[in-house]
Amino acid sequence: VTGAEAGAGGGAEAGGGEVEPDARFTFANERTFLAWARTALAFVAAGLAIVQLLPPFPGVPWGRRLLGIPLIVIGGVIAVVGYNQWSRNQRSLRCGEPISRSVLPRVLAVAIAAMALIAAIVLLLSAILEPR
Amino acid sequence: MAPPRDLEGLPPGLAKERTELAWSRTVFAFAAMGGVILKTSIAAGLTVITLGVLIWGVGRLLPAPGTSAAAPGRLRLVAVALTGVSLVALAVALFGHGAARGLLS
Repeated sequence: VTGAEAGAGGGAEAGGGEVEPDARFTFANERTFLAWARTALAFVAAGLAIVQLLPPFPGVPWGRRLLGIPLIVIGGVIAVVGYNQWSRNQRSLRCGEPISRSVLPRVLAVAIAAMALIAAIVLLLSAILEPR
Repeated sequence: MAPPRDLEGLPPGLAKERTELAWSRTVFAFAAMGGVILKTSIAAGLTVITLGVLIWGVGRLLPAPGTSAAAPGRLRLVAVALTGVSLVALAVALFGHGAARGLLS
């Protein structure tokens, strides 16, 4: 969907060459931002739960923080980037420009893959270094 | 069922409902997050839960169709609140003392 398509139907003139987009596109954009917000919260909650609730990894005392802190930071990044993405999309809808491609799915995929790798390494280290 | 040909002719009523539900889910997520933080720091947890209540109030002020100009401040509040929660969680993770034996032990 381009901004031109969104503004073509139910849109109204907003002044300054911008068109008030169809309400459904505005709502859809807002829901997408809220979905990213919940994803960010899930990352932060997961990071906090790992640091605060998991028992320490035997032989790897820093393992919980190594896993939890990046998750919290990624959550913050997703929140900020998600808002920027919403803002850009809304501007595109109002100006009748094509919607730009979001970087967030790539960020999410890379983050999850990296965290899975780190978790596997911590678990392996813990199994190797565990005092018997 | 085939989608209607003229999407622009549909009323936006259900879109608004879906958006209200999305706000509700977000508020629940904030409340859950506050509950997790509450276990470590009562003040920080209560702050996050209060933020959730604030966001719930803001979410109820959905703009009427054709007035999306009212949205940026509301969504900015969510983004700022989320960043604040991330920073609080980071502080708790860095400086808080984790459960000595953990919940799963």
